[in-house]
Amino acid sequence: MSGLHTSMSIAVIGNQLRIIGLMILGFLIVVGACEAAEIDADAVLKTYCIRCHGEKLQKGERRFDQLRFPIEDNDSLRLVQEMIDQLVLGAMPPTKADQPDDKTKQALIQKLRQEATRYYETKQSSEGETVLRRLNRREYRNTVRDLLKLNMQMFDPTQRFPRDQTTGHFDNVGNSLVTSGYLLEQYLIAADLVIEKALSPASKPEIQTWEFRDDFEQQPELVNAHKRAHQSKFLCIHETINSENHWGEYAPILNFQEGAPHQGRYEIRLLLEAKNKNHPHPKSRVSIDKDEPMWLGIVPGNIAFGSLHNPQPFEEVLAKIAVPDGEPQWHTSTVWLDREFTPRFIYLNGPANARGNQSRLGLALLKKDGGNNNKFGNHYIAAMLEGQLPHIRIHEIEIKGPLYDDWPPASQTAILGEEPFAPDRLKQVVTDFVTKAYRREAKPDEIQRLLKVAQRSEAQGRTPYEAMKDTLKATMCAPGFLYLNEETESVKESTLTDVAFVNRLAYFLWSSAPDEQLLSAARNHTIRNPLQLIAEVDRMLTDPRAHAFHEGFTDSWLVLRELGGMPPDRKSFAVYYEKNLRPLMRQETQLFFRHVLEENLSVRNFLDSDFTFVNKTLAQFYDLPAMQGYDFQKVSLSDKKRGGLLGQASVLTVTANGIETSPVTRGVWVLENIFGTPPSPPPDDVEPLDPDIRGAKTIREQLAKHRHVAACNECHQKIDPPGFALENFDPIGRWRTVYGKSKKVDASGEFHNGDAFQDVVGFKEILLTRHDQFTQMLIEKLLVYGTGRRMEATDRPEMDRLLAELQKKNDRLRDGLLLVIESSIFQSR
Amino acid sequence: MARVETNQTERRTFLKAAGVSLALPPLLSLDHHLGAAEPTFTWPQSQMKMVCVGNSFGMYPGEFFPKDEGRDYQLPRLLKPLERHRDDFTVFSNLDHGIKGGHFAVHSFLSGVKTEEAKSMPEGNISLDQRAAEHVGASSRFPSLTVGSDTGLHGGCRMSWTRSGSRVPPITSPQNLFRRLFRDSSPDAIAHEKQQVQLRNSILDAVYGEAKSLQKNLDGRDKQKLDEYFTSVRDVEKKLQQDANWLSISKPDVEFREPGFEGIVKDLPVLFDLILLALQTKSTRIASLEIASNRFDTGFLGLKSGYHKLSHHGKKPENIEGLLTIEQYQMTQLARFLDKLKAVSACDEEGTLFENTMVLFGSGMGNGNAHTNSKLPILLAGAGFRHGEHKVYPTGRKVPLSNLYLSMLQRFGVETESFSKSTGTLTGLEVV
Repeated sequence: MSGLHTSMSIAVIGNQLRIIGLMILGFLIVVGACEAAEIDADAVLKTYCIRCHGEKLQKGERRFDQLRFPIEDNDSLRLVQEMIDQLVLGAMPPTKADQPDDKTKQALIQKLRQEATRYYETKQSSEGETVLRRLNRREYRNTVRDLLKLNMQMFDPTQRFPRDQTTGHFDNVGNSLVTSGYLLEQYLIAADLVIEKALSPASKPEIQTWEFRDDFEQQPELVNAHKRAHQSKFLCIHETINSENHWGEYAPILNFQEGAPHQGRYEIRLLLEAKNKNHPHPKSRVSIDKDEPMWLGIVPGNIAFGSLHNPQPFEEVLAKIAVPDGEPQWHTSTVWLDREFTPRFIYLNGPANARGNQSRLGLALLKKDGGNNNKFGNHYIAAMLEGQLPHIRIHEIEIKGPLYDDWPPASQTAILGEEPFAPDRLKQVVTDFVTKAYRREAKPDEIQRLLKVAQRSEAQGRTPYEAMKDTLKATMCAPGFLYLNEETESVKESTLTDVAFVNRLAYFLWSSAPDEQLLSAARNHTIRNPLQLIAEVDRMLTDPRAHAFHEGFTDSWLVLRELGGMPPDRKSFAVYYEKNLRPLMRQETQLFFRHVLEENLSVRNFLDSDFTFVNKTLAQFYDLPAMQGYDFQKVSLSDKKRGGLLGQASVLTVTANGIETSPVTRGVWVLENIFGTPPSPPPDDVEPLDPDIRGAKTIREQLAKHRHVAACNECHQKIDPPGFALENFDPIGRWRTVYGKSKKVDASGEFHNGDAFQDVVGFKEILLTRHDQFTQMLIEKLLVYGTGRRMEATDRPEMDRLLAELQKKNDRLRDGLLLVIESSIFQSR
Repeated sequence: MARVETNQTERRTFLKAAGVSLALPPLLSLDHHLGAAEPTFTWPQSQMKMVCVGNSFGMYPGEFFPKDEGRDYQLPRLLKPLERHRDDFTVFSNLDHGIKGGHFAVHSFLSGVKTEEAKSMPEGNISLDQRAAEHVGASSRFPSLTVGSDTGLHGGCRMSWTRSGSRVPPITSPQNLFRRLFRDSSPDAIAHEKQQVQLRNSILDAVYGEAKSLQKNLDGRDKQKLDEYFTSVRDVEKKLQQDANWLSISKPDVEFREPGFEGIVKDLPVLFDLILLALQTKSTRIASLEIASNRFDTGFLGLKSGYHKLSHHGKKPENIEGLLTIEQYQMTQLARFLDKLKAVSACDEEGTLFENTMVLFGSGMGNGNAHTNSKLPILLAGAGFRHGEHKVYPTGRKVPLSNLYLSMLQRFGVETESFSKSTGTLTGLEVV
């Protein structure tokens, strides 16, 4: 327990229901054993608490003078919970105030616990239920993908949906997921797009071939120089993506800008040449990795989104090709293209700033040769001809398609089955589709209502086939599709039906619909059989759809969805763009989470670990030993600095503002997402910290000043120390020992209770002694994400039980996930 | 069928009770479904309109920003053409988006977000005009109009962006713009559109019925939540009714000769005129105008050098004079546009158009000679705010230009607390 006690001083009184301090070990047992505790709680509170939390003063926005026993409402319960936490933590009464003796304190704690327990028992809660929850954007997208077996690489029917409101960074909480007229109109449009896409092309198209050679136009800025230097004989890709100037960053085929005539797979053959990989320029100017081949990527492009030479909304890399040194060679890849999408080629590991390099080298070359630069652009020609800058050349392109593995394709059989459509199949087709789309049995009156759409369409002169499509579109705008199934056997009961349970499970672990195997286990009522449930969860976690969980949960818990929202400064943090670090950062954290989950490791690994996942680029960025290739691998960390989430660039970047680091922002993040104890927001009358660089004060000195103000100190004594511990990481997570040129970084700090650390390594050691608090926070986050609602005070006993169970299992993550799934909270609406 | 009918009646009653007003004079019965009730039409409450004008090379700072702060500033040369309107516009100093990239960042003028950052922003790089257009919806025939040049150095202005990250390409030819605004589409196209409206109505009937039956099994909070869905169905029905009506109404007749297409420089006055007509006929409430071009005809203004070259004046007086000629031309046309806004009213609307229109002029480029995207030239005229001042914002702790946009959006009627990188509404700008 001593370790636990030390962990407690940092818990804060927050202003939210879900703020819960450390779970008390053996809580339920203690309560039972101490029935006899008798004290005058009112009197004790009056002596020690009410001076600061009463009628006159309400520190931390808490007042206890109006508290009445027995407790009769959730607000009072919340206060009592917080009092218990603070007393157990030893955080209250504050050290400078009068202290009750140990006996009084223990008696008060026991009294408060009894009160809480009594309230739980008597409460017939209608709260703590999930509010009718619509699909959020991610879930809608995935559900459509799985329902209709669609390729979504360049298709996002939710593109114009408003962003989903979040609650505590969770994007799937029913209460905050609003439906509006604007959104419903987007549903109508999306349904049209989705059904038309699934059923096209109507008949199997002829395979066509296209060949492109000799006439390769570059983008407007380069077209003339390219023509004069190379007679437009090939396409050049001059730089990596994410560049500032888009200078030969994308190589589209302008003679194919109308794109694919039908969706399908297309075989793309390319005659490729890696040019000037072993260039003579200094690495500081032309930064490419000479040990790796040049990598060409194929990304989609669509003229409807604007210029093909600029970034576009869809840029998933459809294929990667290593271009060997030497003579041009043919390479073939087969990629999916949606109708009207055209392939664009990129140089994945190319240099940045092609424009600057061409300009500088070109001008130097002209000067050396006494050449003529009176015509603007001559220097680019010189650079292209003699600059020896690395680039990829595409000499010839052949495209063949559309190709289909099966005909009719999967998206059509998903609707029609194996047979073609006939008018007398209408009812069957619609019934099958509705059942799948609603993720439960369709009721006869539901089918009838939807079939009316077909009747009306036919009455208005549309063909039976069109009328069928209209009905499917209607299905996708119906509540049965848009809202999650949270049915219980009867209105009085709170336990989900088996079908609703597998729905919840699927949206938890896949952010998508349950598949046939899950639904059938629900229909047979075998899904709640513990062994079968474990088997199903294991199966679900190994399914590729589980990526939605790794991504969705880490995005919500760690706020990674916002990574890049404050873009790092291009000048100071060029590497963030040149090496396209943002997706790599996210990937590291997702893979790390996945590994801890799949290997059922202790959640303590999130606090500190001796491994992480990096690829060559990220390893370089972290100064880890060199590795080969751009695929992610698990690596051991010999250095204690990087282990755990707090050493990951994703977390360190999302907690900085792109220009500088703030111990306050990082400190608040740690309190929220590691300790689970978010601080209250600053009072309205407090001016935000205005960084003042003129006085050359460090952020630490400024904060020290801040903490001299009592009102600020109340929270900042808790916020600042974890923030200080991370000061050795710059705004994109690189290790630093000095600010700027010489000002030394001081990452030491001290908690309120005296626990002190020198840097992040020491800080993590302290964290590990407080891992129970972390585990409890993680259980709560899993429950919120899984149920789509905030945890209420009434959920506390079950959450406490889960923590105790998990502690017995050594805090292993997958065990914890199973406990969450088996919990009464998850199984109830 | 009987039950469906009941639902319809119920909803009709609701529509009537809510006093739905449609921005349309006549209602033509499309089918029994839409024609069932004949509500009376009035114009919607908010008449606010928004025009955003931008160029791609900025304004020569020395002659755009007044030397003095406040009301009694001396008009610099570029504001001279606007002298007669000086009480009706505000010039802002030191507002920008905190973005760098020279020409490659100009497209963030109305969005505050570069395309390469869009994916990591919660609302992508949606631009001011398109955000307002989402709010307008179908209450006017065109939720927004983007006109002007679709080319220019590194793509030109590229001002308008949707939520999904697509550029809204401008209508370049005054002739096409005129036809879109004032010539009816083909009967086939109209028939197809009408069919879409019918289909959506029949879909709404089906899903409304399902929601009704679902509602019976819900309690308290879930019921409330489902109310959102019912409200949404009614909102979309209203919009469909509006869409259908637009399809049935001939486009307005205007006394204006169909223009040709002569390039952005010569066409600039015509484009302003067509925007004026579009606002006047209530064809739209939002227009954006992009001034750039690959073939920017400076010869028409008596100049020998190109626009881009002159913007890199290198502080040579003769180059600066050339640049000022181009920029004064733009300001003269803007002033002429403001004159006209003050002279006309929209059909059956109180006050002149000027009293109901916000006009923003600016650029995503601050100083063309230095390729900076800071301290953007920003001028706001017309309705919504108290004008007549040169407002200077701090240079140290920068105020995001998005704050001005947020103020404009709120004044336009959009209920939002944030836009792009805003930290709040713009301080010191008084709403009237």
